[in-house]
Amino acid sequence: MRIILVGYGVVGKGVTTILARKYTEKVKDNGFSPKIVAIADIDGAVINPRGLSPEKLEAIRQRGYPISADPEFGHKGMPALDVIESVEAEVVVEVTPVNIKNGEPALSHITRAFKTGKHVVTTNKGPLALAMPALTELAEYNNVYLRFSGTVGGGTPMLEFAKKCLAGDKILAIRGILNGTTNYILTEMSQNRVTFQEALANAQKLGYAEREPSMDIDGFDTACKVVILANWILNKKITLKDVDRTGIRDVSLQALDEASKRGNTIKLIGSIDGDKATVKPTEIPKNNPICVSGVLNAITFFTEFAGEQTLVGKGAGGIETASAVLRDLLDIRHKLATKILA
Amino acid sequence: MKIVMKFGGTSVGTGENIRHVADLVTEYAKNDCRVAVVVSALAGVTNSLMEVACQAKKSDAKHIEAFTKELLQKHLKAISIAIKSKVIQKEVNQITENTISELEKVLTGICYVGELTPKSKDYVASFGERLSAPIVWGALKDHKAETQCFTGKEAGIVTDSNFGEAEPLMNYTTHLIRERLGPIVEKGVIPIVTGFIAADQNGVVTTVGRGGSDYTATILGVALSVDEVWIWTDVDGIMTADPRIIPSARMLPELSYQEAAEMAIFGAKAMHPRALEPVIEAKIPVRIRSTMHSENLGTLITDADSAKSTSAVKAVALIKDVAMVNVNGAGMVGAPGSYAKVFDVLGKNGINIMMVSTAVSEANISMIIRRSLVGRALSTLEIALLGRGTVSEVTAEDDVAVVAVMGANMKGTTGVASRIFATVANAGINIRMIAQGSSELNISFVVKEKDGAAVVRAIHKEFALDKI
Repeated sequence: MRIILVGYGVVGKGVTTILARKYTEKVKDNGFSPKIVAIADIDGAVINPRGLSPEKLEAIRQRGYPISADPEFGHKGMPALDVIESVEAEVVVEVTPVNIKNGEPALSHITRAFKTGKHVVTTNKGPLALAMPALTELAEYNNVYLRFSGTVGGGTPMLEFAKKCLAGDKILAIRGILNGTTNYILTEMSQNRVTFQEALANAQKLGYAEREPSMDIDGFDTACKVVILANWILNKKITLKDVDRTGIRDVSLQALDEASKRGNTIKLIGSIDGDKATVKPTEIPKNNPICVSGVLNAITFFTEFAGEQTLVGKGAGGIETASAVLRDLLDIRHKLATKILA
Repeated sequence: MKIVMKFGGTSVGTGENIRHVADLVTEYAKNDCRVAVVVSALAGVTNSLMEVACQAKKSDAKHIEAFTKELLQKHLKAISIAIKSKVIQKEVNQITENTISELEKVLTGICYVGELTPKSKDYVASFGERLSAPIVWGALKDHKAETQCFTGKEAGIVTDSNFGEAEPLMNYTTHLIRERLGPIVEKGVIPIVTGFIAADQNGVVTTVGRGGSDYTATILGVALSVDEVWIWTDVDGIMTADPRIIPSARMLPELSYQEAAEMAIFGAKAMHPRALEPVIEAKIPVRIRSTMHSENLGTLITDADSAKSTSAVKAVALIKDVAMVNVNGAGMVGAPGSYAKVFDVLGKNGINIMMVSTAVSEANISMIIRRSLVGRALSTLEIALLGRGTVSEVTAEDDVAVVAVMGANMKGTTGVASRIFATVANAGINIRMIAQGSSELNISFVVKEKDGAAVVRAIHKEFALDKI
């Protein structure tokens, strides 16, 4: 399977690391033989139609930016859109930075891939949060697959769990702690009694929070995930603007103390219940299985027959998210194989 | 004697060449020969027409004017050299200008609708021949020959509506050509017919695709019951090997139809098997000869019985630009349908298999495909077949070349294969894959591309093809 990797950040590097490992495993064990034929980043691209070898991928990682400086396969200044259009491949892996204003450049990358008949695996929440119903329709129309399991839960298969393992049951509602950064801050505040500002500074020091933390603490990241869950699992055609969103800036130590007295704590909960999609700090019992601490994520699916199902796991991280990409690639490969032989 | 003469793109590539063509045709016509002429487009014109049509489809109008201007200049220049008489020049100039202005309108139309259907593609492609034929006509007129110009459609070639690859309705076509061209050929008039293009029963322009103008020539040959079809080209005939690899390669004076069909893999220098079809049935010989060395009689392709040659091996070819794909798996052994799956996957993805080899052990199958398709082939085979228990590995080698050894008398001659492989072995070269069909006309095998030329030379020498 030939892959074009668009975006060479933490996740992109993770993807190359994992796929390079897969090269050396015997293909017959899993019937999967991935080849990265191109990597595109802001400065240009590295292209080898035969597939970049594990050694080459390692060399590119070691050299760092600009990636197009590769003496053998570098194409300086080649735009990612041109790479997507002109390089032969089955799948485009889109892992550029998130942009929730207009979803670009990922949105263009994804639509261009569809137009040229390429399947897409993305970990990018931006285009999905803004245009998920449009993208799924376009994918279907062009007869290609769009997979994005890395967007929710990182390496923890929250989307697949609901879609595949709970098939046949009816999911009535979804509730989850879907953002590690805010969960870390709230955990710090309640357990170590530090103020929001101190906890945020700590999170930034540890690399959990961005220098510009609004995406996390104002609940945008969680809201994006709520949109994806609503569309994919509950078939609700909503986008980011349909989510009622409140961040954690106004959560006070006092409020946490009072909750604690009741055996509860406050978490940033994203939920979908009926037609209501909400992100807001919510008081929940400390003994609720969803009540995880630190950077962990947790999600509960309320189902008609199987009751409540809760999944806990790491919600982010380069290599964890990259593992979700691998999962999606295998899924596409499996679906394609069935299709080709049909 | 009655002859159809076909002139390829290079033969009519310039004004000088067209003048030379007119010399040749009138010379034969004077010697009590009835001649019908089929012409290709000027070298490179059809390709550039297809390019500009594709650009027009993308609604890219700015190329159209520049293109048609350049095309007009190219043809006007050829006219000014090919035709001396000012009167005839003026007449042909007028035809050319009209045709190109029609082309410009067609291209603009494509540009507006942003669509290039196989139907309109054929229409655009037809302009190459429509522009070249009047020049040849003018040049012949200039030589005081009686001549008349026809498009394939006017001549009576009727095809199905499979645009781009149309198949003639042979009997109807024969009927019409006899009616339209027969009488004038008998009168000694030389008809000039555009190659490659025809029309369906509704009069919509089609092209015959593979085989192109050669096909037109053989169709015409059969319909007019000619004695021979002559394909005038830029090579002396069909050679024992590519003269760029073996300078001492010889021209083959005679070949059977089957041999010529096998040699289609020599590329454009030989005839496409499809173009030979009509004449095989009618047993009309085809001669391939060079406009540059018109004193040479070239290669005569004829009915096998009359091809009297004793040598088993007649030619050796090197086919580059290929790749070998290997599908391995012990699970394929004894499993009905496992090869079918491999072929099916490639076929559904539009990948043509040129050569196949598999041993009775059944544990692997090797295929030769075009090199440009190897990435797609490998990827699709892996996606479809790996991890299902039958196929364990798919690999590809793209540094290979096919060597094909051909000759009708190889059939039934013992020891040919052993001589071939001993020769390769003595050259210290490893063979990667072998195939011989039961027709025994051809043994093909695969070696590393870097060894290809050496193998061809060694075999050429072993079978003394330079003394054939």
